[in-house]
Amino acid sequence: MHIDLSGGGLFSRALVHLEPGERFVSDAGAMIRASSNIDIDVTTGSRGKGGILGGIGRLLTGDTFFLSTYEVTDGRPGEVGLAPTHMGEVREVNVSPDEAWLCAGGSFLGAASTLTLDTRFQGLRGLLGGESLSLLRVSGSGTLLVSALGMLTGMNVDGELIVDTGHVVAFTEGLGYKIDKVGGGWINTWLSGEGFVMRFSGKGRIILQSHNPTRFGQMLGPLLPERQA
Amino acid sequence: MEHQIIGNPDRGNVSFTLAAGESVVVEAGSMSFMTAGMEVKPRLIGGLLTAVKRKLLGGESLFLSEYSTATAGAIAIAPAFPGTVLCKELRGAGDALLLAAGSFLACGPGVSLATEYGGGRSWFSGTGPFILRATGSGPVFFNTYGAVVERDVKGSLTVDTGHLVAWEPTLDYRIRGMGSIKKTLFSGEGLVMAFTGSGRIFLQTRQLGGFVRWLSPFCHG
Repeated sequence: MHIDLSGGGLFSRALVHLEPGERFVSDAGAMIRASSNIDIDVTTGSRGKGGILGGIGRLLTGDTFFLSTYEVTDGRPGEVGLAPTHMGEVREVNVSPDEAWLCAGGSFLGAASTLTLDTRFQGLRGLLGGESLSLLRVSGSGTLLVSALGMLTGMNVDGELIVDTGHVVAFTEGLGYKIDKVGGGWINTWLSGEGFVMRFSGKGRIILQSHNPTRFGQMLGPLLPERQA
Repeated sequence: MEHQIIGNPDRGNVSFTLAAGESVVVEAGSMSFMTAGMEVKPRLIGGLLTAVKRKLLGGESLFLSEYSTATAGAIAIAPAFPGTVLCKELRGAGDALLLAAGSFLACGPGVSLATEYGGGRSWFSGTGPFILRATGSGPVFFNTYGAVVERDVKGSLTVDTGHLVAWEPTLDYRIRGMGSIKKTLFSGEGLVMAFTGSGRIFLQTRQLGGFVRWLSPFCHG
């Protein structure tokens, strides 16, 4: 399996090349095109894992209830083109067995079926952070595709990093986080317009997106005419 | 303070590296990530009353946020919508930049910001009735929706309302129609801005309001 990323900029897309026996899983609806020898199976979990509960768990992460699984049917190589719904970059993440990744707020685009997808409930942290209640956990060995609103930035964290809640795409499980104020007192935090931030600590990798879906939505919302009943 | 603009033309954002004791003033809510140890303080532009008027009439936020660090640190910010981020360096006495409402993103601590009423003409300009005047010295960061058109005007330039982002005060404009009543009504341009003088002007290739008007019929399902 290899993946070509193209388009660049706000309209990135991925072309996944599959060899016989290989399978790739994506969010339902992410496929743009596929070669004619590709079979698409729609399930609530990769390779039948997860079941209904897996699907419901994923809804809490902001991802889709169903996943699509792609594989070739005729013993010859095939290809599947994938793209996210929103405008932004797509990035390949190589997940290794020694460290799982957590994906936030619908940033999951697809993964090799060798990876296991489950969810991690975030409880009050998720609710306060304005992010989803759960994060999608990706573990095992293989390629993961994530998407963003805007640009993707990957960083090594060693110590602390403060991230506005709308900008987290994915991070390695070794990083811990807590919900915190932006700096100074609570009044300053409220006036700064940032609300809560995520204070990451520990050692690991994190991927961030340049633009914040909530802010973009708040900008567009008032410009829309009122909805007719 | 060092800065780096990345992601232009369609996903522009800025990161700042601050040395001990340095600070940067940013649009409220624009911080995306930063190092630990940053302090944030709200900053009003031009007194409470002006800020409230601006909030009520211009829809701009009441406060800006000043981020500072006693040690050293970094902060990244982004506009609310995708587009280009621009920077103009102000060089002290006499140097100024006028900004349309909503296009301000950040500035250095040596830049003074004042809100001014744009006059009767500004109600037709698409910039909002209040504009921002940046003076002093240091960088001013602003953003466009879509790509940017940057021109050095010598003489005159006609600009469609709603596309104006920033301009130097050596330029002046008046609102006029596209010629005859027929052209004004049916050209799709309506009123335009006739700029005269010499100075730099920054325009955006798209309008967020126009995009939303186009999009909204599809939002009702």
